[in-house]
Amino acid sequence: MKTAKPWLKMLTTGILASALVISGCSSSKSSESPNTPAAASEKNLKIMWWGSDGRHEATNKVLDLYTSKNEGIKFTPEFTAWDGYWSKLPTLSASRTLPDVMQMDAAYIESYVKRGLLADLSDLDLSGIVDESVLENVKIDGKLYGIPLSYNGQAMVYDKAGLEQYGITLPQNNWTWEDFFNFAREARTKLPNDKYPIDDLRNIWEWYQFYQTSKGLGPIFKDGKFNLDKDTWMEFNNIYAEFSEKGIVPKADLQLSSKENDPQTDTFAKGRVLLRGSSVGSATAVEALLPNGDIQVNSYPIGTAGGGWAQSTIFFSINAESKSIEEAKQFLKWFISDQEAGKILGTTRGIPINSEVLGSIESTLTSGEKLGIQLLDAAKTNALPFYPAPAGAEDFTATYKSELESVMFGQITLEQAYETLVEKGKVAESNNS
Amino acid sequence: MFGKKIGAKRKYEHNVAGYVFISPWLLGFLLLTLWPIIQSFYLSFTQYSLLDSPTWVGTGNYEAIFQKDRLFVKSLVVTFTFVLFAVPIKLFFSLMVAMLLNRDLKGMSLYRTLIYFPSLIGGSIAVAALWRNMFGLDGYINHILSWFSIEGIGWVSNPKTALSTLILLSAWQFGSTMVIFLAGLKQIPRDLYESASVDGAGLFRKFYNITIPMLSPVIFFNLVLGIINAFQMFTSAFVITAGGPANSTYMYVLFLYEKAFKQFQMGYASALGWILLLIIGVLTLINFVASKYWVHYESDGGK
Repeated sequence: MKTAKPWLKMLTTGILASALVISGCSSSKSSESPNTPAAASEKNLKIMWWGSDGRHEATNKVLDLYTSKNEGIKFTPEFTAWDGYWSKLPTLSASRTLPDVMQMDAAYIESYVKRGLLADLSDLDLSGIVDESVLENVKIDGKLYGIPLSYNGQAMVYDKAGLEQYGITLPQNNWTWEDFFNFAREARTKLPNDKYPIDDLRNIWEWYQFYQTSKGLGPIFKDGKFNLDKDTWMEFNNIYAEFSEKGIVPKADLQLSSKENDPQTDTFAKGRVLLRGSSVGSATAVEALLPNGDIQVNSYPIGTAGGGWAQSTIFFSINAESKSIEEAKQFLKWFISDQEAGKILGTTRGIPINSEVLGSIESTLTSGEKLGIQLLDAAKTNALPFYPAPAGAEDFTATYKSELESVMFGQITLEQAYETLVEKGKVAESNNS
Repeated sequence: MFGKKIGAKRKYEHNVAGYVFISPWLLGFLLLTLWPIIQSFYLSFTQYSLLDSPTWVGTGNYEAIFQKDRLFVKSLVVTFTFVLFAVPIKLFFSLMVAMLLNRDLKGMSLYRTLIYFPSLIGGSIAVAALWRNMFGLDGYINHILSWFSIEGIGWVSNPKTALSTLILLSAWQFGSTMVIFLAGLKQIPRDLYESASVDGAGLFRKFYNITIPMLSPVIFFNLVLGIINAFQMFTSAFVITAGGPANSTYMYVLFLYEKAFKQFQMGYASALGWILLLIIGVLTLINFVASKYWVHYESDGGK
């Protein structure tokens, strides 16, 4: 009996202590916003982005630079790779601990805006820093929710030496889809069996969408409505089916073992495929794939409405619940316009949005970065808007990939795939409304 | 009666001491395991995207899963196929290796270590990435095949062979199962084999009539754990094939993960989790019932 008491005491104290710790934790989470200032004059901005090591290093340096110039503004940076970023951000949002400043992508920004998570930045004066037309382009319902950081766009790259070696007619800027397909047909007759003119990208929904939008038929989800044009889709996929049969495009298992920009497997890097698309953002990676190649740039195939796209796709946005919105805004304005910062950042986020910053670093650009600028120039002329999949269409895009892969391996017919896609598309449509 | 009361109190005191000792684990269990489990049960009846707060949909998720979701069926077919092949192959393979390693040879402990070694790293991302390269179109496997002028295929990028590649990887990670088998084999008394030899029993007969029955509790243990683990297979499917090509390796847990963290349907994913729990529970129950007919416990006194 006597021995029982100390044990019991210990247990109760233990429980009490842990209860205190736990409640302490949770109360601090709920009452404090992520950026409670340590002193009245000192602001701590939590900032998050995704990217590669080069971007992390450069950004950290720029944050230190800003802190040294602005007494009282400190940063808590957090950075990850792309995949982790987009599973982490929703979790933070669920616990209402989103960072003050966060990097945003055109594919995701709308779903955050829709839920009121991002601050309206329309009143920040960016005249003379960012082109008015660029800003108009990235506005959502007439309001600015993300400060564009760089230009992005999509055009094509080809191995000039590889094509000339076999006497293949080189592609021309602003060629049509018909030209593009004929290029592939002609090249097949001249290339050896283990080389292919183009990839088989039937399983990439964006690739088909380029075809549909270039014909002026609008994106697959037009104003939230499912808008897959059956005839156009059938026509497009039948051409590829024919190509696959005739060996104009790689066999399905070769195609699917290719990972874009992976030097081990990328069909372009291996010299198996001689022409493909590339975004401005991945120009440096593409350039590194063929260090001895002669990479040339060409526009996307265009239709009556245009082709490809050229637009800002990376932004910095501000948490609508942040206690330091004003400070964050001033920081962002500085971030895209300061030349010293621009020099440190280089093209780690793509081609700088501010033309003066770009001018000041132009002389130091590497060949990969120059390739990016060429890609942008090629994309600009007939560029269409960038059409990301709307929120709620994730299941549709995943299904598109797997269904079309089944088509590529001859497991299902095109008609069957179409029916599944219509079904999933309707679901996505109702998710979005 | 008085004495009995004291005894009961003593017992209670002992329990308190026990709880105090395991309290770090207990707290972890309650907060990090039990609470999320309860939450996920609640969430499985809601629609929850993380960005919005959960809204109650009753059994809506379960209805959608059972009535409309083709991927649910597809992922179940893939997972059951995987379990059906991977578990027996792995058990058989590890038992054979364990028997080889159960001999008295010089330097046997070195062999054991060497053979167990891959299992230390077996389940990791690195090995999965290695596997992807080995079975890729330009991988070692096709390189070796080319010596015999066989034209290889992209093993992991072809829907016909991708799942078999994953089954092979799982069988190769036989280490821990093998170690348990080895311990079991060591427990079998030598004299059983010796007397069987005297009676003129051959190798196969000894294996079938002595090793298998004596080892059956260990086989049973490995079988149950093997099935549970195989149902939860994720890493290699995620890293090597990402569920493709054409969903041919779309494992159930991968499906669950994509619903939760790619499509942000937390409620739906929670419902999937509970269905998986139910499936594993039922299979384990069947296993335990069936075990009465083939598992032989020495302590039960023979038959």
